Amino acid sequence: MSWNHNGMDQANATGIEYIDGLYSYALVLTRNHAEAEDLVQETYVRALQAMGRLRAGSNMKGWLFTILRNIWFNQLRKRRNGPQMIEIEAEDGIFNSIVEPSKNSHDLYVSKMETEQVQAAIQELPLQFREIILLREYEELSYQEIAGILDCPVGTVMSRLGRARGKLRVLLSATLKGSNSSSVRGSQ
Amino acid sequence: MKGCEDYGANIQLYLDKELTGQDLEEFHAHLEECPACRNQLEEEEELSDLLHRSRPLYSAPDALRKRVMRAAELFPSTTTHAPLGLRRRIAKILARPLQSARRPSWPALVTAILLVTVGLLVVPGVLRQSRANSYIETAIAAHRSFLNGSLPLEIQSESPSVVTAWFTGKVPFNFRLPSSAEESGHEQVYRLTGGRLVNYKGGYAALIAYQTQQQKISLLVSSSRSAVAAGGEEVPSGGIVFHYSKQAGFNVITWSTHGLTYALVSSLPGSGRQSCMVCHQNMTNSGHFNAHR
Repeated sequence: MSWNHNGMDQANATGIEYIDGLYSYALVLTRNHAEAEDLVQETYVRALQAMGRLRAGSNMKGWLFTILRNIWFNQLRKRRNGPQMIEIEAEDGIFNSIVEPSKNSHDLYVSKMETEQVQAAIQELPLQFREIILLREYEELSYQEIAGILDCPVGTVMSRLGRARGKLRVLLSATLKGSNSSSVRGSQ
Repeated sequence: MKGCEDYGANIQLYLDKELTGQDLEEFHAHLEECPACRNQLEEEEELSDLLHRSRPLYSAPDALRKRVMRAAELFPSTTTHAPLGLRRRIAKILARPLQSARRPSWPALVTAILLVTVGLLVVPGVLRQSRANSYIETAIAAHRSFLNGSLPLEIQSESPSVVTAWFTGKVPFNFRLPSSAEESGHEQVYRLTGGRLVNYKGGYAALIAYQTQQQKISLLVSSSRSAVAAGGEEVPSGGIVFHYSKQAGFNVITWSTHGLTYALVSSLPGSGRQSCMVCHQNMTNSGHFNAHR
């Protein structure tokens, strides 16, 4: 089956709507801008090649995330087996999309600061916590879908998610207090 | 009747919409009569709300999005029946050279060889000058926007360590703003006011803002991989070649050292080198430019 089954239009059929999520996942895994881009591109290239094997009714989103994760871990494995290279993560910064602030837009400024604090806190978490937070809180995947991507039992997803949130809450305690005292942005 | 301890895990399941049927109804009933569980749920929701407000966590760069969309458009809609060879060919054509790839791609290699050959044989220095000009233009545009307020500082601090820390992880290179007062050894004519990110060649450069008594000065810092210092009046000093020029009404000084390229833009009085004297009074002292390294 191809991606444009089930009445999906061509844009949807390519999975392009998941690119921000895939890029975020790649950055969460690699913590490196250039590697994240490479990973997303490689994911789409592999997906294009393999689209014929995706069965009707398949979960394309989960499929793409699984491809990305598999590519990343295969690369890691090759690196471990090959010559050891010194990783200097700080050499490649973690970029976020900076929206040019509009003049006197306090809300936008606060929003941007908050996002940066969230990004920094998530990147401080161990890899397993980073990815599970991304998959649940940002991609809203179900426990079952996450378990499929991570190739682990649903119970593990649940317990790991609980621990990840606990750690993240500690890291974001100052931001949470700030957002309680002045609700600038409101819930979306 | 279940106690709160029995509902601990349900709070997370409820939050994640994993609770259904009888379990959901029971939990709703428990929430109504249990303020402790309601509080705990609220705390969980606050964290989730905070995370949801920062969606997407990162946005894919436009260039990446365009490449993928182009791939999607060119890919035949009858992909189900497209031969595997065709699919591979299209995917191969659309794949850009990977940034962190360990092997070169042939089209990129051929292009690079052509560019180098043209640069060496026909127009020596033109490409380098063009890159230098592009960096200067960016520095001037950023300085002008900074002056008119359309590019506000994202970090405001007079502390070099605070500003340095703010840039860490945001720009694709490492740099440290030294404590100018300690290193200059004389009274400072300028002070640090803060910094912000500036778009440059699809990535980010660091704009560092200084203030003298009369005016603002900006220093654009980027990796020497994407920016070069060239042209203008060349003055070697302290092992570094400084390039002075006057462009668009501003004094511009560029230099490269330790893998970074700098562009200092100001309206300080005097031509190029004289403008440096405003802040660095002892030009013969090779250590005087430490503040910019």
